Amino acid sequence: MNKAKVIPMLKCVLVLAAIALCSGLLLGVFNILTYVDPLQSTYERFAEDTGASFSKMADEEGAEYGNGSVLYYAVSDDGTVHAFLAEGGGGFGGKVQLYVYVKDGAVDKIVAGDNSETYMSKLEEAKFYDSFLGVPLSSLDVQGTDVVSGATKSSKAVKNALNAVVQYYNGKIGGQSNG
Amino acid sequence: MDKAKLRETLLGGVRSNPTFVLVLGTCPTIAMTGSLFSAFAMGIATTFVLIFSNLFVSLLRGLIPDKVRIPCYIVIISTFVIIVQMVMKKYLPDLYSTMQAFIALIVVNCIILARAESFASCNKPLYSVLDGVSMGLGFTAALCVIGIVREFFAGGAFAGMSIPGFPVMEGVGASAFGFIVFGCMMALFNFLIAKAEARKARMKNATLPLAGHEPQAAEVSK
Repeated sequence: MNKAKVIPMLKCVLVLAAIALCSGLLLGVFNILTYVDPLQSTYERFAEDTGASFSKMADEEGAEYGNGSVLYYAVSDDGTVHAFLAEGGGGFGGKVQLYVYVKDGAVDKIVAGDNSETYMSKLEEAKFYDSFLGVPLSSLDVQGTDVVSGATKSSKAVKNALNAVVQYYNGKIGGQSNG
Repeated sequence: MDKAKLRETLLGGVRSNPTFVLVLGTCPTIAMTGSLFSAFAMGIATTFVLIFSNLFVSLLRGLIPDKVRIPCYIVIISTFVIIVQMVMKKYLPDLYSTMQAFIALIVVNCIILARAESFASCNKPLYSVLDGVSMGLGFTAALCVIGIVREFFAGGAFAGMSIPGFPVMEGVGASAFGFIVFGCMMALFNFLIAKAEARKARMKNATLPLAGHEPQAAEVSK
C-alpha cells in the first residue's frame, strides 16, 4: 500500500467527516432550541386564519388521496369552521402544504402553507384561490380548474392538496354535518 | 493590527460591492427585491451566514486539505443556512413562509462561497469576520436600494406604506423590470465610485508634489 497517497486521502476524509459531525451536533442543539410542535403550530395557524378557537384535532392521522393528502383536520369549538391542513405533491420544489377552511359546506378560505416553490406568489397575484371560494365542496371540480401560466407545477400541487380535502370532506364529513 | 488592511477590508463592501461591482448573487437580487422589507430580510439572513461561514473557514483554514476545501466550505455554509431557517421558522413564521425557498438557496449564493474561497481561506479570523460584515452590509444596502425603487414603481409604496396619488404601474413588478432597475443602479453606482476615485487621485496629486517640484496653479486646478 502506498502510504504517501493513503495518508493525505485519509486526512481529507477525516477532516470532512469531523466538520460534518460538528455541523450535525450544532444543528441538533439548534433543533432542540427552536423546535416547533407541528400540532400546536397547526392549532395556532387555524385560529389565526379563521378567528375561531380550536381545542382538539378531529383527525391527527389524516388520509391519502392519490397525489394529495389531508394531514390534520379540526372543527372549531363552535362547530362552524372545518379546518384542514393538506399537502399536494407534484410541485416544482416538492410538496406544497395548504390550509383549507370550510364553512357551510363551501370553501371559505385557502392559505398557502409550507412549500419550497419559488412561484407561489404568482398564484395569489392571479387570484387562483379565489376561483374555489364559495363553491360547495359537493360540486367542486378541482382538477377541471385552469392552472396559472408560469406556475403550472405549483398550481397542480395546490390542486392535488385541495382535491384531497374535497374527497375527505365528501367521503367522511359532508353527509354527517350541517356545517 | 494592520490599519491599512483593516480599512481596506471594511471598505470592501463599497469598493467591491458584491451586487454592483462583483455582480454576484444576482438570483436573490432579482427574486427578493420586490419590496424593501423582503430585500432587507434577505440581506440580513445572507449577512449572518456570510459572517459565520467566513469565521469558521478562516479558523479551519490550516486544517482543511486543499482537495476537499469546497465540500468543507459547503458543509459550513449550509449549517448556518439551516440555523437561519430554524430561527426564522420559530420566531418569524410569516416572513419564513414567504421567503423559505429563497432562504434555502443562500447555500448556493456565489457571494458566500466566493468570500470563503478568495478571502477567508487566506486571512485571519478577525479580518474574515470584518469582510463578512462589510460584504454583507454592502449586499443588504444594494438589495434595499433596488427594493425601494421597485416597490415605489410597482406598488406606489415605500416600505409597505402606500403613497397617496401615485399610480400603480401594472407589469413593473415583473422580473424584467427588476433587471432594468438593477442595470441602472449598477451603472449609477460605478459612475459615482469612478468619480470619487478620480477626485481622490486628483487631491492626492495636488497635496503630495514630487520633491523639488512645485505644482503650478494650473496643474492643481486640473
